[in-house]
Amino acid sequence: MLLQRWVTLTSIVFPAILMAASAGTSVESRATVQQESKSDTSQSALEKELAEELGLNPQQGTQDERKEPAISAATLAARRSFFQNMNPNISVVGSVFGNATSFDGVERNIDLGMEESEFAFQAVVDPFAKADFFVTFVKEQEAALNPGADAAAEEEEEEGGFNPELEEAYITFLSLPLSTQLKAGKFRSKFGKINETHPHAYNFIGVPQVYGNFFGGEGLGDEGVGLNWLLPNKRFFQELQIQVTSGPAENASFTRAENNRLLYLAHLKNFFDLNDNTTLELGITGLTGPNNAAGDATNMLAADLTVKWRPLQDRNQSIEWTSEFLLSNRETGRADINSLGFYSHLRYQFAPRWFVGGLFDYSEYPKYSDVHHLAYSGILQFLVTEFEKAELQVKYNNGNFFDSFAEVKLRAVFVIGAHGAHQY
Amino acid sequence: MNRIVTYLRVGLVVSAVVLWPETSLRANGGVKVVTTLPDLKYIVEQVGGSTVDVFAIAKGYQDPHFVDAKPSFVLRLNKADLFVQIGLDLEVGWVPPLLEAARNKRIYFGGSGLVNGAHGVDLLEVPQVDPSTMRAGGDIHVFGNPHYWLDPRNGKVIAENIYNALKAIRPDDEAFYRRNTDRFAARIDSAYQHWSTLMAPYAGTRIIAYHNSWPYFEQAFGIDIVGFIEPKPGIPPAPSHLVSVIKQMRDEKLKTIIISPYFDDKPAQSLARRTGAKVVAMAPSVGAFPQIITYFDLFEHNITMLLAAFRNSQ
Repeated sequence: MLLQRWVTLTSIVFPAILMAASAGTSVESRATVQQESKSDTSQSALEKELAEELGLNPQQGTQDERKEPAISAATLAARRSFFQNMNPNISVVGSVFGNATSFDGVERNIDLGMEESEFAFQAVVDPFAKADFFVTFVKEQEAALNPGADAAAEEEEEEGGFNPELEEAYITFLSLPLSTQLKAGKFRSKFGKINETHPHAYNFIGVPQVYGNFFGGEGLGDEGVGLNWLLPNKRFFQELQIQVTSGPAENASFTRAENNRLLYLAHLKNFFDLNDNTTLELGITGLTGPNNAAGDATNMLAADLTVKWRPLQDRNQSIEWTSEFLLSNRETGRADINSLGFYSHLRYQFAPRWFVGGLFDYSEYPKYSDVHHLAYSGILQFLVTEFEKAELQVKYNNGNFFDSFAEVKLRAVFVIGAHGAHQY
Repeated sequence: MNRIVTYLRVGLVVSAVVLWPETSLRANGGVKVVTTLPDLKYIVEQVGGSTVDVFAIAKGYQDPHFVDAKPSFVLRLNKADLFVQIGLDLEVGWVPPLLEAARNKRIYFGGSGLVNGAHGVDLLEVPQVDPSTMRAGGDIHVFGNPHYWLDPRNGKVIAENIYNALKAIRPDDEAFYRRNTDRFAARIDSAYQHWSTLMAPYAGTRIIAYHNSWPYFEQAFGIDIVGFIEPKPGIPPAPSHLVSVIKQMRDEKLKTIIISPYFDDKPAQSLARRTGAKVVAMAPSVGAFPQIITYFDLFEHNITMLLAAFRNSQ
């Protein structure tokens, strides 16, 4: 009991420490400021006054950028070749978590640890292509809520270990005739708005319930080829992607068939500039693939809508709203199963580095249209810099096959090295 | 059989739709140029005259480090003959995804239509630190401070880079481009001389800036930025840092704070109230304010504003 309380305390203190440490202060410079304020007590009063006036956190250090002398282009070139070599861009993304849940079907209600480490290697291959590799070490966690899950099969996976996994590895030919691109290898499928994005970059913790229920905790990924065509529409941006993959090895909706059935996906993205500050994106995805060894198919139709308001001149406020809707038709030996899922996420930026969000989840299951999982989440995000963020999510879960429960999740994500920019 | 006929018909329609605009767009003459900043757009228009059709992605009042890589820009880049950027990683957060999506070999890395304005510029503040510790300094640029267009003399270097790219595309117009480039350089020279004369009495004047975007401007006009409102580039200020800036401003009698339109001006106003200093809204780019239409307006505005502030504080 005492231990549990201690752990609860730690999980509260831990993110606080993290946020304080990451607020851009070097210990050294903070010490300097403290020394100064001892000599002048009015200084701390002034500091407080400024904090109130500007709504700031009385932290952070002070250090000027000293100027360096001019340098010639030749010296620069030498320097570049020195530390860039012929290595690809290498980056590592770390993700640390702390969870507390009132769900009583798990062994531990409080947990913390290293969720994921992702190693990325990215470079141009030759004048025609670029290549991307993402290797992740993911913590094996207790199985998520799953109606009708095979308990014995779940037990086989060892919990608490880190399993290396090739998350993505693909080559992209960037500029083929007729404004097409070709991608080949293992990649996250172009499904909906967020499936292609790595989950550590999401503005909430974990995948939306509908992705989790229909594809599993990491979304839909597969091996194969994809054609990406920029449609010759002069009025607005339209891109059609067609992907043919061999069928994911482990997935709630699809499986790798023993016969010649493959998984086919088509996604049409439409993008509109409503004005300088507002954009609208509408996507439609169609998907068909085998769901059992015999080759019965699951067919899906999905729509995604994203509206962003980001004033060009004011980087201190913005609004983003994304919703996705999925319909699934699963063939079985007997009657088809038709089920659906939906999520809607609203995110508001209220200060230079602070965001608050709400997420609504409703999802049935690929094999069960009569059971559903409903969830409401509130999210707070602090983007320390482009390379570090801390997130807090409170999630209330409701459904017709389990007792309602609440979760508190904390996550810190950080990146070192040259990580590629994310898509808009 | 019927099905096959239908497929063929669909195929014909699709290929007609695809091929038609490709040919029609390539046919209509002008060199299609996309630039990252409006300053580059102005210089391309000076060198290229009526032979170019230029679009700038960022607005002058936008922070050039943080521009959204909107897919709509891909349509422009897909057809572009030239893409001109500031380089030095200024646009690293948004140019690479745009170039990758553009499906245009001419302007992709390694392409002859990718123009880096920085080629030949004497760079300032190239970090002399171990790259693995570099980000401890905030948003430091590996290759040096990228705000070099704020020295008007570097405008001539940019024009020369654009001239080289344009003459490669339209060799027949080389003489025309050469004349335009020389004329632009001459205008810069005389304007710079004029501005320098105006600024000469205030050489060595010490001021405070919000962000470290002005080292080239300092060098060009002999002013001295001795402190920043940001504790480190890209890190918003906290009260403890502002207190140290106030102390510095009082001790050193600093009377001018310069800021750019895309930064929060509240910290600067707070400092100004407490120290009696004046906040000067400087233009970091063409288009930063509605009246700044040319590259010359940019310096005209900044120098006029600074002179007014310096005269008042005397």
